[in-house]
Amino acid sequence: MIKIENLTKFYGSNRAVNNISFTINDNEILGFLGPNGAGKSTTMNMIAGYLPMSAGKVTICGNDISRDPVKAKECIGYLPEIPPVYPDMRVCEYLSFCAGLKRIPIGERSKEIKRVEELLKIVDVRKKLIKNLSKGYKQRVGFAQALLGNPKFLILDEPTVGLDPNQVMEVRKIITDLRKDHSVIFSSHILSEVSAVCDRVVIISKGDIKAIDTIENLEKNYAGNLILHIKVKGDRTTASNIIELTDGVREIKSIDPEGNNFFSFTVVLDGDEETVRSALMKDLLNNDISISEIYTEKPDLEEVFVKMVNQETKSGGAKDLLRELIAADGGDPDNADDTDGKEEDQ
Amino acid sequence: MFSIYKKEVQSYFYTPFAYIVTALFMFLFTMMFNNKIASMDSSSIHFLFPEVFYNVTFYFIFIVPIMTMRSYADERKFGTEILLMTSPVNVWKIVIGKFLAALTVLVFMLLCSTAFPIFTAVHGKVVIGQLICAYIGFFLWGAMFIALGMLISSFTENSIIAAIIGEIVMFIFLFIDTFASTPFVSQFPLLQKVLYAFAAKPKFAYFSEGFIRLSDVVFFITATIIFLAWNYIVIEKRRWNRG
Repeated sequence: MIKIENLTKFYGSNRAVNNISFTINDNEILGFLGPNGAGKSTTMNMIAGYLPMSAGKVTICGNDISRDPVKAKECIGYLPEIPPVYPDMRVCEYLSFCAGLKRIPIGERSKEIKRVEELLKIVDVRKKLIKNLSKGYKQRVGFAQALLGNPKFLILDEPTVGLDPNQVMEVRKIITDLRKDHSVIFSSHILSEVSAVCDRVVIISKGDIKAIDTIENLEKNYAGNLILHIKVKGDRTTASNIIELTDGVREIKSIDPEGNNFFSFTVVLDGDEETVRSALMKDLLNNDISISEIYTEKPDLEEVFVKMVNQETKSGGAKDLLRELIAADGGDPDNADDTDGKEEDQ
Repeated sequence: MFSIYKKEVQSYFYTPFAYIVTALFMFLFTMMFNNKIASMDSSSIHFLFPEVFYNVTFYFIFIVPIMTMRSYADERKFGTEILLMTSPVNVWKIVIGKFLAALTVLVFMLLCSTAFPIFTAVHGKVVIGQLICAYIGFFLWGAMFIALGMLISSFTENSIIAAIIGEIVMFIFLFIDTFASTPFVSQFPLLQKVLYAFAAKPKFAYFSEGFIRLSDVVFFITATIIFLAWNYIVIEKRRWNRG
């Protein structure tokens, strides 16, 4: 288990990481999610013992990284953002150097190197100079280095950046396979990637933790506030009355006339999607209002994430934040546009 | 420690680097050697190898910074420093490993240079005792400069800057005694004494004349240890100050 307690990092007077705490359990894949400059790499560098912390404590398998660095570092494999490879070395030389650094007994080295080479599919390039390899291969060589010695914990800083879609899939598969006997912390700024492989997610922005939760919970909380689009033909007032009075409808966000007696309603739900939908359809049809279109918006986690990290407010639970977001969205669409503009500026 | 040593030695010898540096060293040695032989007049049949060594030290300050400029600067530039720092290795092992590797290149250079005395021995007479002293002096002098060069390399991530600053500092070391013996400094005996204490050249001169004085040996070894310790502190401290 890796335990991170009140970790803080100052760069001069600039606070890069602010008092964050979380734990990584055994056999767990933890996603570390945040936009660029959120403090992901700084945090990972601190966990791996490269950067010292301004305050706080990191304990790896019971060893404090600043008090007992050698023992703690034995338990981790680290792939930094830029793969730490020597351009003038051959892949096999590099891996054998790393095996020596990690103090793998000489007798087991060649076997261990062969294992990681096969796992990362770099057997073909093992005799090549690293400087002649493509970005994707360099990344894989760096990954192989982290896996040497089979460390219990793997810290991977954006392992899929710069890889082609095929390689991304492969790397994800490797990470998923590692779950059997490893714990992985895996940073990314791509939510779909994190949701594909991680058990739990830590969302961090500007050095603060915004949420720590499982993907399912994040999705479920968001799904609790689904948006329903419904296009009807009939009397506008009757329709809006019926919709508003249906159980599970929170509010009507907007009504757009589409001509020819057609109206489009955007409705925010807070009940179960299926029941609300069938109740609505039944009531509307009973009142002679025909429905020409009905669909629910897919929960776009990516968007939630973007909004979440741009929020300046307190770091409450994910659920509260999401609620706020939806409310803000429904209340004033113009405002939402403004935030979008800001994101682009950044 | 051994794996770092091995990797460093590989990076010197698997690339043309060590050979080019040695070639430069041999070239400078040859120039001196030829000049000495050519200027030898028939009445005096002796010329002193240590003298050649003594002259070569001047050029040596161009070679050592080139040898050591990459040792830490490149690690930082390529981001491989992270690998070393997050491996279960103590920082002092990294420092010693790198130092020993550079020392290996120095020994390689010195071994190559024995070609000249051997050649001379075939055609004339070599004073072995004096030669050995000169070699010991050269080795100690080189070790001190290597430690200094590596220290300077750890200050920057630009290897060219490391080499230039290294040359400047080594020049100061070399000319501090010339400065100390000027009439101006002679006015202040205490200052002169202090400057002489730091002057490495006169200490090396004793070696090349065939004396091994304990005080000189202690000077070079102490200086080497101080530079290595400083090197260790710089790396540890930089981690604490980063950003």
